[in-house]
Amino acid sequence: MSDQRIFSRYKASEIRAELHQGNLKKHRASAAKRKNALKKIVANLTMGFRSEMALLFPDVLKFWQIDDNLEVKRICHHYLVAMASTKAEHFQNALPLVLSDFNAGSEQLQILALRTLAAVPVEVYVEECRKLVLTIINKSSESEKLKKAALYAALKLIQYENTQAASLLGVLHKVLRNYKEKPTIRANALYVLHEVQETTNALQMLSLDFDTCMDMLELLPKLNEWDSARVLDSLTVSYVPQTHSDAHFFIEKTVPQLQHTNTSVILNAFKFVIYLTNYVEFLTESLVKQLSGSMVSLLNKPPELEFLVLRNIILLLLGRDKPLLKVDISYFFVEFNDPIYIKDTKLEILYLLAKEDNLLQILQEFKEYATDIDIQMSRKAIRAVGNLTVKLEQSADECVNLLLELLDFEAEYIVQEIVSVFKNVLRRYPEKHKLCLKKLVRFTDWVQEPESRGSMIWIITQYHHHLPNYLELFRSFSDNFLDEVLEVQFSILGSAVRLFTRNPTPTTEKLCVEILKSATEKVDNPDLRDRAFVYWRLLSAAQQSQNSSLGMDTVREIIDGALPPIAMNTQLDPQIVEELELNIGTIASIYLKPVNQVFRLNKPKCLTASPALNANRDSFEVVFKGSQSTSSSLTGDSSQFNNRRQSSSPVKKMDDYDIPAETVNTLKDKRKNSSPNMHLSRKPSMLARKLSLRKPFA
Amino acid sequence: MISALFIYSLRGELLISKDVKSTVQKSMAEIFRIQVINNLDVRSPVLTLGSTTFHYIKSPGNLWIVSVSRSNADSAAIWEFLYKLSSLLQAYGLDSEKNMKEEFMTCFELLDVLLENGVPMESEFSNVASLMSVKPSIAVDAFNSFTEGIANGTDRFIPRSRLLKRKSSTFISQDTLKDQQSKIPWRNNGIKYKKNEVFLNVNESINILVSKDGSILKSYVDGTVEATTHLSGMPVCRFGLNDALSITSPFYEGSPETVNKKAIPKAAAGSVMLEDCKFHQCVQLEKFQTDRTINFVPPDGTFELMKYHVRENLNLPFKVTPIVTVSRSGSIEYRITIKSLFPGKLSAKDVQMRIPVPPETVDCSFSTSNGKCKFVAAESAIIWQFSRYQGLTENSISATALPAKGYLLNFDKWSRPSISLKFEVTMFSNSGLVVRFFDILQKDKNYNLIKWIRYISRSGAYEVRY
Repeated sequence: MSDQRIFSRYKASEIRAELHQGNLKKHRASAAKRKNALKKIVANLTMGFRSEMALLFPDVLKFWQIDDNLEVKRICHHYLVAMASTKAEHFQNALPLVLSDFNAGSEQLQILALRTLAAVPVEVYVEECRKLVLTIINKSSESEKLKKAALYAALKLIQYENTQAASLLGVLHKVLRNYKEKPTIRANALYVLHEVQETTNALQMLSLDFDTCMDMLELLPKLNEWDSARVLDSLTVSYVPQTHSDAHFFIEKTVPQLQHTNTSVILNAFKFVIYLTNYVEFLTESLVKQLSGSMVSLLNKPPELEFLVLRNIILLLLGRDKPLLKVDISYFFVEFNDPIYIKDTKLEILYLLAKEDNLLQILQEFKEYATDIDIQMSRKAIRAVGNLTVKLEQSADECVNLLLELLDFEAEYIVQEIVSVFKNVLRRYPEKHKLCLKKLVRFTDWVQEPESRGSMIWIITQYHHHLPNYLELFRSFSDNFLDEVLEVQFSILGSAVRLFTRNPTPTTEKLCVEILKSATEKVDNPDLRDRAFVYWRLLSAAQQSQNSSLGMDTVREIIDGALPPIAMNTQLDPQIVEELELNIGTIASIYLKPVNQVFRLNKPKCLTASPALNANRDSFEVVFKGSQSTSSSLTGDSSQFNNRRQSSSPVKKMDDYDIPAETVNTLKDKRKNSSPNMHLSRKPSMLARKLSLRKPFA
Repeated sequence: MISALFIYSLRGELLISKDVKSTVQKSMAEIFRIQVINNLDVRSPVLTLGSTTFHYIKSPGNLWIVSVSRSNADSAAIWEFLYKLSSLLQAYGLDSEKNMKEEFMTCFELLDVLLENGVPMESEFSNVASLMSVKPSIAVDAFNSFTEGIANGTDRFIPRSRLLKRKSSTFISQDTLKDQQSKIPWRNNGIKYKKNEVFLNVNESINILVSKDGSILKSYVDGTVEATTHLSGMPVCRFGLNDALSITSPFYEGSPETVNKKAIPKAAAGSVMLEDCKFHQCVQLEKFQTDRTINFVPPDGTFELMKYHVRENLNLPFKVTPIVTVSRSGSIEYRITIKSLFPGKLSAKDVQMRIPVPPETVDCSFSTSNGKCKFVAAESAIIWQFSRYQGLTENSISATALPAKGYLLNFDKWSRPSISLKFEVTMFSNSGLVVRFFDILQKDKNYNLIKWIRYISRSGAYEVRY
């Protein structure tokens, strides 16, 4: 019997020997042995020993004929597909076997054979496959599964070569419009056409009219989840509404799908609705509420799906001036056991959602994260606070105070990050130095990283007139000029020159010349050296020609001119947003990058012009609509209802829920110590008794 | 959509490699192993290199399930599919390296059933089971409570002895299957039961975050209604909740005697504002949209009927009041009170409070009014447990975290993770949601229906800062 393990490496000859061991009669024991040997082939293919296994081609073909067990057939088909890229001459011999499987009458074998035919890119196979596909699809009596297999085989055939695609496309269109066909077949025909359009040149543009779109949406209740998702995906962009009312009609028709459990259905429905909003003149408030609600409820999916949803929320928040989502910030507070990628994304969303009115709450959260155990998380939180300071002018003081408070933690990485962040803060609000300058310079010796060092040097230079000991502070950097990394060397050089031009005293001059000397004589980097030369020439030109046009003031303006104001830009390019909104739920929506930047094979999607298309995407209003249609009235009522039910104070307290206890257990007096092994000084007898006790939580 | 599917063992040995498109090279499997499995610092559940994207999850049995796609695929569908696949692998007893190495052909068969050219086609367990030649290792019924167990990270799975009703198809008798195909993709024709039964489980998990001053930063309940149906024929079921919006609808008169209202006295009085609900594919969504009634033809066996989300008017089960101070001797003093707010008749089980202490703590001393308490140095936390906790009861703990001799515990520099609480209360609903009725439309007289219902409230993230 087979005492050897299946999942280990074998030579072709070993397996061959095992295959031929038993006699070729249909004896049960030898059949089991053969099956075992065939399984070893599959295992070896998985492990990647393809060329070795290719030697067994004739043997596999031989046993294909003998055994009519489904598992053996499956192995043979798997083998054939795995060998597809090797272009062996045996494929010709295998073809009759595949075809005889197809004609064997069993549905499962038929599907298997059809898939194999489509998967092998050899000409005779493709030809046979084309014939079979056409007959299967045209026959109305074939089973559902086989027809689906034929539809996807057609897709593969078109992808191989699109010169002969016309006949297949014709058949697909016919299936799509055949009202007598089963819903799932029609839905998949639509998806195959959509895929053909996306991935090949055989079909330039798949466009559907109002009736087809209507027809497809009517099918949704009869489809399973995966088919529904694909129908909604295919309809986006393929159907172009011609009037506002058409678009409104389909939005209303699609909205119920937002209540599905499958994330893919929801996101595809979401995509279709968002796409249609480009063709309407207003949106009802209830729709916005429903869209937001369905997004939020996806947040309790497994972490990977939650991550995808969060990334799409970012897209929807960034995309428009007036976001289509209204979400409460508390959903994005980080939880203790969130995976790191969720934490990062939530942080980003909190930053994007921060406004004057919710800032206090968000800052409080950021403070928690800044003291998180995860150093990267902590740094990101501090960076976010810094960016918020720059973004929200009116609340800058609160942010600055929080940053200063965090400095007191005196943790190494926190200091680095805060110092780096303060450079931007002070550039944005030069007058805020009074608050923080003294405290910051206390940490001069702490800064280690290039960015924080550069930032500290900049701060000292910029505010030297407020710092009596600025030279001493600056010396701590400039003294080991040659040991610094390039980035910091540039800052030291620039700052030394600026200090001199602002305050030309003998000490600053000496300092400046010192730095210029080492930069020009001892440094190997040409960029740094050249810059030092330029500074030097400028300064000496200004000093030599007292009355020429190049005075000291001009030099100061060149070296130390006014800096352009900085602003935080959180908006994406509207063109990119437009494209991304047509790709909600796809890989591109995770990276927030235009599709053809990541996937060269995909055609870009764009909005098709129609009389109903909005020129300006931000122009439409969100209106509160009364009870015109049943659906919107129901959800419309809900918002009123909601207001009524809300308690008077916006922030609820734990105490609001309090009710008196019936039983109050009070503390027992005796105190227990947790770890008995801490006190080995006890008497041995005591110890023995302790150890014999049963563990409380075992 | 999916160009190839790989399954690896925990250490990165490739166990299954299913190519869908020949464009995927063998080296892809190697690339994933190097970039993700052997990489300790992975910060994303998806990896894109060039135009090839790997979506991956880790199964409960420690297998890596990886999908490779070469174009801008639908990530939502891929991850949903990977999770479905993971639970099906478990159902077929393949979710371990050892079994997968033995029975990999079953996995290939499963993939043949689920996927068509890399596109997910079918994932409803009862349908998949009828197409497979191998019997699953668990019964169709147990499947959902099983997948839910995976999601919650608990092993709550109770196997039922009832075997699969329909005999799994064998190689020859395929054609009988064609007759069974019905108009509804998730239910086959000709299902018969002697006794028609419906079991409804309302599972809720409450998430709450309380700040230092006792204000509630966030609170919400995620709930699911899980149904197990043993019903004959093609029944159209109707299901009703005390949803604030449907209460005025004409169906409210339904059959309220279905539910034993006394079980939840407080909740039954009011109605619940469902923020959002999601339904199983069998529910007629358009019907719900227009008049808020939930009508459906259920799949046979267990399935998750709906998911909902509630934010308003929650019933908090526990109140935790911590007082944490630093003593002069450098130790940290805790005084924490916990009070149950649910009715005195009910009780919670497996209540566990986790009180974090600074990592430098070497010893703790504590006294409690009840329950068991221990200090777990490896987790830097005091764990306080009750196997049973009666309603309307207050307990308190006083504890001290002590540093090694000569050291001080620095309270300000410590990141202070939240105190967290775990519990499970049966027949209590955090959201106040009550099932009002469940009945079958257009049934004949001798179609008797037995209905069972159970409410379970669990803790999600129940965190209190101090």
